[in-house]
Amino acid sequence: MEPRRFIFRRLIQIFVIFFVILTVLFLLFRLAPGDPISRMIDPDMTTEDAERLREQLGLDEPLWVQYVYYVRNFFTGEFGTSFHYGQPVVKIIWDRLPNTVLLFTSSIILSAFVGVFLGKIASWHKGGKIDSVLTIGALVTHTVFLPWLALILIWVFAYKLAWFPITGMVSEEVWLDPEAGIVAKALDVFHHMALPLCTLFLIHFGAYLLIMRSSMLETLKEDYILTARAKGLEERVIRNRHAAPNAALPVVTSIGLSLAFSINGGALTETVFTWPGIGRELVFSVSHNDYPLAQASFLLIAIVVLLSNLVVDVLYAYLDPRIRY
Amino acid sequence: MERDGHKNKTRSPQLERFLEGWSIFVQNPLGKIGLTLLVCFGLMAACSFIPPLLDPMYDPMTGVDPLITRSVGPSSAHWLGTDFMGRDILSQLLAGARVAFMVGVSAAVMSILLGCAIGMFAGYMGRVVDTLLMRTADMIMVMPTLLVVLILSSLFGQLNIWTIVLIIALFRWPGVSRVIRAQTLSLKQRPFIEAAKVAGASHMRIIFMHIMPNVLPLAFLYMTFRVTSAIIIEAALAFLGFGDPGTVSWGMMLQWVWKTGHMFRAPYWLLPPGLCISLITLSFYMLGRAMDEVLDPRLRKEAEAE
Repeated sequence: MEPRRFIFRRLIQIFVIFFVILTVLFLLFRLAPGDPISRMIDPDMTTEDAERLREQLGLDEPLWVQYVYYVRNFFTGEFGTSFHYGQPVVKIIWDRLPNTVLLFTSSIILSAFVGVFLGKIASWHKGGKIDSVLTIGALVTHTVFLPWLALILIWVFAYKLAWFPITGMVSEEVWLDPEAGIVAKALDVFHHMALPLCTLFLIHFGAYLLIMRSSMLETLKEDYILTARAKGLEERVIRNRHAAPNAALPVVTSIGLSLAFSINGGALTETVFTWPGIGRELVFSVSHNDYPLAQASFLLIAIVVLLSNLVVDVLYAYLDPRIRY
Repeated sequence: MERDGHKNKTRSPQLERFLEGWSIFVQNPLGKIGLTLLVCFGLMAACSFIPPLLDPMYDPMTGVDPLITRSVGPSSAHWLGTDFMGRDILSQLLAGARVAFMVGVSAAVMSILLGCAIGMFAGYMGRVVDTLLMRTADMIMVMPTLLVVLILSSLFGQLNIWTIVLIIALFRWPGVSRVIRAQTLSLKQRPFIEAAKVAGASHMRIIFMHIMPNVLPLAFLYMTFRVTSAIIIEAALAFLGFGDPGTVSWGMMLQWVWKTGHMFRAPYWLLPPGLCISLITLSFYMLGRAMDEVLDPRLRKEAEAE
């Protein structure tokens, strides 16, 4: 099958899955104890606004009509108004999305590259001291409880040593200063991002290291490695040019498989560091009974998860020419 | 392995195989460390009943030291100090071990039984049933469980610990069901299933009497990793403030430290619960990897060659 058709088919699949999630959420919403109206309507709203919203959601209509309204509202981007912020949910989500994408993608890329690099080294020194230090280090950092790690990093590097800001994403004095250029602003964001990035990196790189190590050991047994040795190539060349690129393929697969795990971690990290992203918004809205915001954040995260899986599949097929869709 | 297991009803060869596996297992450094750590946590859980018996002020949830109204460091009465209300941190830590085992093991067992049942049905029935169940599995597999539980608790309010366990189990079965399905597909072709069919056994009987005994041991291999993820999800949920308010878990303890702003002031309170969560996860993880090595002869040979 040609790539375009494969992607098209997967997109249809994703659309169906997403529709199922949307429907399940709708049904749960109606099943939940209590009045659905009070869940969607802000207690502080005027009666007129509340009436308008009732109409928009079709809350007085039969269930199936409500469902049609619900789906229509979703596709027209009508998620209602956040109780807490008093702003349209879409606007809040749209503001937070780039922050999450920035933190999330940079942490995945960084940990995958470092994991692959260190895994390669560990496999090369198999059974030696370097190998055991790296393997044990990977196991420990991979299983450490993420929020706790984040709190400890904050305690040591932001509180005791005061190298980094404790929370947030920007400092007001830089961003409100008319003199400050784009570079100063970017540096400020990176300064705030260092600790959250470090937390996510520490949690993730271990898994990639372990996968790379065992995959590398498997690859080194292949016939073409023997051929390369027989040709008299340097060990370094065999390792870096012949074995490593093939051995790194399972790492790509595992990025896709561990995506759910990474997203949980991302939400926890954002919450502890009060990084203004989607994950933190979801946690925050759930604890403040802000249902419209919670629902929209959750659905957005679901879309991101489904699409990222597609990206990983396509990337895999691109990297491994043996894979035909 | 399963093949012999079915034909051989005598006890001794199985026991022998178990002992052989056990000896490989304990020789494995990962297995040794993991098991030792787990025994320690088991002792902690067992000891959790002692402090409340000594004095009501050592009750992890309701016991308050009448002389203390704020968080203080370790002393002879409170070996690890007290929390902001004057409750003993050590007895909370011990109670947390009990909760961690309870959550981890029960969620793991449930998700394995569920995954096993679904995998067997999908594999045995085939066609539409198979496609439907496996597509559902794919869908659930990519969902971040923690966030799903979060959105559910936003709909249904505060969840109690057993509901949390149940939800975790409902979202952790797909991995197991895939393996069991593959196993069932190959078992289905075996003569003894054919024989059972000819003898007039119903589908249910074949699935539960003939297929299940052959796949269940395999399913339980996946247990350790389920335990880890269940413990982490419960802890993270409690940490975010959505845990069961009537249960003292390690995640809950961290939530108290964090929310009361003691994280910079009370290292004696911040360090123990997080260390426990991390170590129990590590020990189950190590156990799982060691078990993989015992059961995967390819990995074992590699280890022996060293």
